[in-house]
Amino acid sequence: MNGHTYEILLALGVLSPFISFWLLVFIGPKLGKPLAGWFGVAFGMGVPLLLASYVLMCWLGEDAASRAMLAEHAFRYHWANLGTVPILVGVKLDSLTIAMYFMVAFIAFWIFVFSVGYMSGHSDEVDGKSKYHRFFAYLSLFAFSMLGLVLSSNLLFLFIFWELVGLCSYLLIGFYFHERVPQYAQMKAFITNRVGDFGFIIGLMLVYFQLGTLDLDDAARIFAEQYAAGTGIFASSFTMFGWSLATIMGVGLFCGAMGKSAQFPLHVWLPDAMAGPTPVSALIHAATMVAAGVYLVARVFRLMTPEALMFVAAIGCITLTLMALIAMVQTDIKKCLAYSTLSQLGYMIFGLGCGAWIAALFHLITHAFFKAMMFLGSGQVIEGCHHEQDMRKMGGLMKKMPVTGLTFLVGVLAISGFGIPGTNIGLGGFFSKDEILAVAWVRAFDWTDYSRHEAEHGEHHALAVPAIDANDGSSHGAIDGEKQIVLASDPQHGDSHAASLHGEGHTASESPRGLKSTAHGEDAHGRAGVFSRVPAMPKWMFYLALFTAYITPFYMMRCWWMTFMGKPRDEHVHDHAHESPMMFLPLVVLAVGTFVASYFLFRDLISDAATAATIAPMVLATDGHVHSLAITAAHHWLITGVGGSFVVGFVIAILIYGRGLNIAARIKGTIGIQQVHTVLENKYYIDELYHLVWVKGCMCIAHIARFIDTWVIDMTYLTLAKLTERLAAFSGLIIDTQCVDGMYNGMADTAIDIGEAVRRPQTGRIRNYVLFAAGGATVAVVLMLLYWGVASPDQSVAMLTP
Amino acid sequence: MNTLTIIVFLPAIGALLCLIAPKPLIRSIAVLTSLVTFLFSLTLFGMYFGSEAGSTSAEVFGSTYGALHHVIRLPWITSESINIEFFLGIDGLGFPLLILTTLVSFLSCLASWNMERWKIGKGIRAYFILFLLLETGMLGVFVALDFFLFYIFWEVMLLPMYFLIGVWGGERREYAAIKFFLFTLAGSVLMLIALVAMYFYSGDAITQAGGEVASAYQSDVTLTHGTFDLIELATNKTIQSYFASEGTTFLSLKFAPLMFVFLFIGFAIKLPIVPFHTWLPDAHVQAPTPISMILAGVLLKMGGYGFLRLCYPIFPTGAEFWAFTLAVIGVVSIIYGALCAMAQSDFKKLVAYSSISHMGFVLLGIAVMTKAGFQGAMFQMIAHGISSPMCFFLVGVIYDRAHHREINRFGGLWLTMPKYGTMATIGFFAALGLPGMCGFIGEIWVLLGTFDAGSKYPWAYTLAIISAASVILTAGYILWLIRRVYLGKEKEEYAGYSDVSSREVFILAPLALLALVLGIFPMQTVFNFTNGTLDLVLAHVTSAISMVP
Repeated sequence: MNGHTYEILLALGVLSPFISFWLLVFIGPKLGKPLAGWFGVAFGMGVPLLLASYVLMCWLGEDAASRAMLAEHAFRYHWANLGTVPILVGVKLDSLTIAMYFMVAFIAFWIFVFSVGYMSGHSDEVDGKSKYHRFFAYLSLFAFSMLGLVLSSNLLFLFIFWELVGLCSYLLIGFYFHERVPQYAQMKAFITNRVGDFGFIIGLMLVYFQLGTLDLDDAARIFAEQYAAGTGIFASSFTMFGWSLATIMGVGLFCGAMGKSAQFPLHVWLPDAMAGPTPVSALIHAATMVAAGVYLVARVFRLMTPEALMFVAAIGCITLTLMALIAMVQTDIKKCLAYSTLSQLGYMIFGLGCGAWIAALFHLITHAFFKAMMFLGSGQVIEGCHHEQDMRKMGGLMKKMPVTGLTFLVGVLAISGFGIPGTNIGLGGFFSKDEILAVAWVRAFDWTDYSRHEAEHGEHHALAVPAIDANDGSSHGAIDGEKQIVLASDPQHGDSHAASLHGEGHTASESPRGLKSTAHGEDAHGRAGVFSRVPAMPKWMFYLALFTAYITPFYMMRCWWMTFMGKPRDEHVHDHAHESPMMFLPLVVLAVGTFVASYFLFRDLISDAATAATIAPMVLATDGHVHSLAITAAHHWLITGVGGSFVVGFVIAILIYGRGLNIAARIKGTIGIQQVHTVLENKYYIDELYHLVWVKGCMCIAHIARFIDTWVIDMTYLTLAKLTERLAAFSGLIIDTQCVDGMYNGMADTAIDIGEAVRRPQTGRIRNYVLFAAGGATVAVVLMLLYWGVASPDQSVAMLTP
Repeated sequence: MNTLTIIVFLPAIGALLCLIAPKPLIRSIAVLTSLVTFLFSLTLFGMYFGSEAGSTSAEVFGSTYGALHHVIRLPWITSESINIEFFLGIDGLGFPLLILTTLVSFLSCLASWNMERWKIGKGIRAYFILFLLLETGMLGVFVALDFFLFYIFWEVMLLPMYFLIGVWGGERREYAAIKFFLFTLAGSVLMLIALVAMYFYSGDAITQAGGEVASAYQSDVTLTHGTFDLIELATNKTIQSYFASEGTTFLSLKFAPLMFVFLFIGFAIKLPIVPFHTWLPDAHVQAPTPISMILAGVLLKMGGYGFLRLCYPIFPTGAEFWAFTLAVIGVVSIIYGALCAMAQSDFKKLVAYSSISHMGFVLLGIAVMTKAGFQGAMFQMIAHGISSPMCFFLVGVIYDRAHHREINRFGGLWLTMPKYGTMATIGFFAALGLPGMCGFIGEIWVLLGTFDAGSKYPWAYTLAIISAASVILTAGYILWLIRRVYLGKEKEEYAGYSDVSSREVFILAPLALLALVLGIFPMQTVFNFTNGTLDLVLAHVTSAISMVP
């Protein structure tokens, strides 16, 4: 294919579920049940799957050069201007996108099919009313958002779709919104994600402000340039918690991933999210949406500093351990799977953090297949057992549900890393988890040695960028004895660095460099310097990850055994158990998919994508082909040890749960273990803590704000108004009526008094008046004469003469 | 006939018709009038097409600040020393708000259709007359370019609003109406002082410059006295430098910062900002639904419009002087409004407080004076003008049926009234700032714009981060609201309530549609029409600031 065909097809695949969403909203009720569901399957998800398959086939036919060409000339739509920065939207065309897109479309399609079966009973009823079409509308909207997220070439658009998948998650968790649990679960999911998004927004702000673009590729390019030149974000002297600004940017973006991928301490929403219908748990809360965080980290890998990645690794490591421990004591089948999802997500994040980019993403893909399958299996069980989720009441379901049991077992094997060490036979986790562990081992133990070694021997240990392209995805088993650590370099210089490294005389031991000093703008600006900056990992991270590798098989086998094996513990549940063919088809498909994904297709695609995606100035990417990583004898025991971990876990699980729950109960009763068990059952009391600190705290502050608003601010105005009123009353009643008016009244009274006094002589007789007048006039004349006469006789004369 | 004049006075003519029309016809006349006004205002889009080809407002509104369209300039009150003009014109600041006003007015007029039910047929004539007068006042504010005329329209809008709340409102309507009136009046008084002072000081500036100064943007016009012309005040170099000069004082305080504060407070009360906001919850809660829609949808925008039209272009130095304070007030409004909203138990009050929070973004975006900030603030005004009337109407819908607004008494309404529940989800998610809907664009633009200001104002980083935290709070109170009102089992109390009627859908649907379209195509719907002018205003402001030593 040429031109923009790829983008058009992929974009059409995104648009199709969006149209399906609107159609289902408007005509869904008319279509009714099950037509609306089939419409969703066919139009909402069938079209994208067809397009994705076609695009995948064509993409596999392209060689590296034409892929790069297509990516470079991809179409960009000018969506808006942010200030002066144009926001260009388009399809991020690379192998990772194609792989993710196909994975999402494929799994979503089969989960849609499963949903039609799942919803055919009474599961579509909300408070007794069928909301069948609404369920499929939401699923379509989710498919739209998730596919859009995968395609986005722009961080802002990634964020937009990011929020939209969050909305769908919210709506679907709360599908049964007449019950209380889903209501709270949906709020918790959305708000916890928003906490992560807060960090994401800070990261976005830094990217926008410091790099001046929100395009993923441009940002990475500018980031590399700024690093090389020591400008922009690297010129800032700002630090917080000992992190440089560049690190904060990476950590901020990662915060978003922490929310969506439910990493500690924002993991609390995911177990609760299981309140949604089971297909939703499979699609959103196991396979696709929760992996979006991992996808994001993989996408912004180029913007991450070693310190930021160390933080990523630490968070991943904590998550994978803590959640695996909780999973050991869960009795709810869905909760158990949820915690195992959390732990696996922790593995992926941990893998990215230590640089095992390929292994982490490969784990994402295989995990998506088998975890979706296991959730669907649990949905089958729950539906079959009349909405019973407690594993303690199950047991012996294998006979009643053979397909479910077997496919579930495939999932258990895959997640446990089943495989034969030293060979190429294994499933899912065998290829990815071991690889992550091996990289972690190198980072934790072999790191300083390696860098010293590197300094001494120079080019003999190839810092081989091209090695990552080697299409040896199918030969994982081969221990070819070459350690391939890929040090990424900035795109312009490529592998010329490897050759010129020692020619320039930069070695790790000679030039322990600071952040900025690495860059001279010379041809080889000191890869060794870069190298020396990537710190060795603390050993505890490796130990925890290794430890968890043994726990995972235990709890998964426990879960499977309690559900499917042993004797039925609850007759009522057991009697009802049945399988519905509509629902087991997807299970089989996904089980096959797990096999296929473990061996074919995805490994190559991800390796291919790694070349571009991990190129960054100072970021280390280890091509974690575990089995090819093993250069020292130490690795042999590691691989053997980890590779065999599933046996240990399985055996312990079967020993304890093989004969019912008695042994487990006895162990649980032991002093010491009992307390630990309680803590684990209560999930370390984190929910309670959050409720107390955040929910109550926030409400408390809100009520204080309301109090201030009513009783301080508004009261001030009211008091002012009252005072004015009082003043008015005072001036109106006291001053005005009594003083001012009083004065006038007083004057009036006086006038009346005078009048009264004056009235008395008024007798009404003319004689008297004449007398008064004559008397008065006489007095007046006399007074006048006297006055003027004394003062100035001339004047009086002048006055009197006309 | 000038288009703007027609648009502004059409509602007033409608009001006259209502005065004489027989009673049964009144509301039809009113709705028809507002519809015609709306349709007529749409013809303004013609500016962007046809002879003046060009898709962006930069092209339509020229390359200098003050390029206007549909200008009408008539001498109105003229004497020896006073020259007040009837001066209307439109640019990228007024245009989107004008359209918004006509639209929201039309929809809320339609929302008043059943007013007889909520006030037993009393005063229908007076109600619609006042309503239409209010519309004239609002439209006038957005197109008047003579400060005196602006002030008149500002006051014209105030009085009908007072009566609309005070007569047709809820239980405490008189209290709320007086509170609204007094708060706004307090602002108007300050504005009046600024109006007079600016007139005389501009006169002084001209006298000082020799008594004759050429107009900054009109050819063949010479200024001999002070002026009320808003564009002239902003662009005339003589007046500007006199205003900005250190030596120019008023009551022995520096002129520009002081006048800025006077005008600012006048507008900020309308916006509203904390701590001048307490009139708003009362007025919104007591006002009848359509009036709440107008209040939230249009009246609050006058504050933001006033900043962009008067405060910033005329007193750039004042803007620079107060930048930090204003930004902090903006952030406080955002966070504080959200917190208060979270603690409310009255449905309408919650929406009212959320308005305060959202309008805080407008102030923050303007205060930091970056391109993205200005753009975001403008977008936020439009977005809020769409989402908040929708939210208020949603409250109104259920209030009409249940006759109470206690959030905790509701529950399960999505089951009882499915269409209503869906509409409400759209409306409240738009208010929440969900990407893909209008609220998001404004917020993220403002946040990024604020962060962008970090290069000139180091405090901007911190403020941007604090205000970003509001995304959590907003999600908190909105989702909690949705949970309490719409989710849960059906309640006996509300069983049998009719779903939204077709009239209600007709009001909600355009708003819902716009909320989506604005969120998906922000450039085609808003930015293309506003950014040109906004960039010019900003360039004008920043260059004025940089010229001051």
